[in-house]
Amino acid sequence: MAEQLNLSNFEDARTYLRKLREDQIRDAAMVVQIWEEVLMNYAYNLGDELWLIYEQVCIAALDCRRPDLAMVCIEELEAKFPKSLRVTRLEGMFYESQDRYDKAQQLYDHILSEDETNMFARKRQVAILKAQGKIPEAIAKLNDYLKEFMTDFEAWMEQCDLYIAEMDYAKASFCMEELILSNPHNHLYHLKYAEIKYTQGGSENLEIARAYFSEAAKLNPRNLRSLFGLLMTASGLAVYQAKNARERQANTKYALWAAEQITEIYQSELNKKQVGEMKVMETIEKLLSSLQLPPGN
Amino acid sequence: MAELLLDSNIRVWVFLPIVVITFLVGIIRHYVTILLSSEKKSELQQVADSHALIRSRILRENGKYIPKHAFNMRKSFFNDEDRGFFKTQKREAAVKNPMTDPTMMTDMLKGNVTNVLPMIIIGGWINWAFSGFLTTKVPFPLTLRFKPMLQRGIELLSLDASWVSSISWYFLNVFGLRSMYTLILGQDNAADQTKVMQEQMSGSAMVAPPDPMKAFKAEWEALEICNHQWMLEGVEDELTGGIIPETIYIKNKFA
Repeated sequence: MAEQLNLSNFEDARTYLRKLREDQIRDAAMVVQIWEEVLMNYAYNLGDELWLIYEQVCIAALDCRRPDLAMVCIEELEAKFPKSLRVTRLEGMFYESQDRYDKAQQLYDHILSEDETNMFARKRQVAILKAQGKIPEAIAKLNDYLKEFMTDFEAWMEQCDLYIAEMDYAKASFCMEELILSNPHNHLYHLKYAEIKYTQGGSENLEIARAYFSEAAKLNPRNLRSLFGLLMTASGLAVYQAKNARERQANTKYALWAAEQITEIYQSELNKKQVGEMKVMETIEKLLSSLQLPPGN
Repeated sequence: MAELLLDSNIRVWVFLPIVVITFLVGIIRHYVTILLSSEKKSELQQVADSHALIRSRILRENGKYIPKHAFNMRKSFFNDEDRGFFKTQKREAAVKNPMTDPTMMTDMLKGNVTNVLPMIIIGGWINWAFSGFLTTKVPFPLTLRFKPMLQRGIELLSLDASWVSSISWYFLNVFGLRSMYTLILGQDNAADQTKVMQEQMSGSAMVAPPDPMKAFKAEWEALEICNHQWMLEGVEDELTGGIIPETIYIKNKFA
């Protein structure tokens, strides 16, 4: 996208920033660069869009550790909108970037006392806890948030990661289920859910993991990670957990199929020498040969 | 019929002033509305309720993609007889009486101050100051039907229908300046009066907020009859080629 536009041109730079804003892409380094090299000199030409751009640049500057630039943006916005909660939030984020969490917390509390439905301030408070390494507190805070805003799927995703950091896989899988509900056609959600179930272990969870790895592979046949997952779960089930010969046979079949697909993808993407160097094929073959023998022999 | 000749003073003192007055009033209205407008704040409870309703709807639609126990867990969170969300949450009916709620009163008052009052005052003033003039003539012949529209305030049977009276000229301006405002003030300006008039035509402009208890009841019923049918049943076989006949049957039946 950036290649088609000549970003030193005022109009193109403006369009590019607008596109980033609309698609909520967080390309901080790019935004700061565009601002300093192009748009800063044309600030008077931007009209009301200038304030939106200040906000965008401010967040980008914080991402890039440029407190000087962020401060300039906040001061400009503060002068234009003295009591705005949106500017207060930026200020809070500025203090966060300076590790002054108490001050930031105070500002977010102020925002919430003005407008208790402010989602940004609530999520920033979780971010403060996370930045301080207080994961259990962050989880509790985010849970309170999710009780009110049940369909904020970004928050569910964050909660899932927090639970994984705490190794609480049962709860993490609950969060992933919410995400699958939100968009059942996203193969990455299925994949992550399957991985959590695989980590949990036990034949029941492994079977669920197998189904979701397969679903992810069905939705995106080039998803190597899900094919490997399917290979691992199916072979694991075949060797250690199969209750009868029929199940073992079925699981062996899935594992063989996944191995076949993986081999095919590797061979189509890499040349022979590379494949030989990777040792992936060898490992897969070893795994498969262990499958052919019944366990205990 | 002899051609009428209008005094050029009518152009200077009636025709142009009406255009200028209507236009400036529109501009002032725009800025006054911006000054008086108050942001509508939503209440936390309402937001949370709507989120819960959406989540329940998503569960009904996409519940087939998560394992059965996960589906049942969520279903009982919403629908359990004793502890379910839809059973235990009690909300007062949100239909507020506008007369008892002061914030709604001020909103209504502001609406009236910026929309209806200027309409009446300016319209009355124009009627009083400029009544009885013919201001201009449209450059094409019109049928008699147009007389009440274009010659309000002048009851002359024999007058040609293309002549426009001052009051009608005022109304033509009110309705016709919309694109001028868009040009000067940008899209979504508050200067345009036609929108307000449409609202008044369509009866009460206020829509009663939906009652959450009713929505909960409806959602509870919908979820109650929703059964879980796991979409991923037999997905491995589907993927690897060997398809088990029963699963096809089940999917076709419930898909």
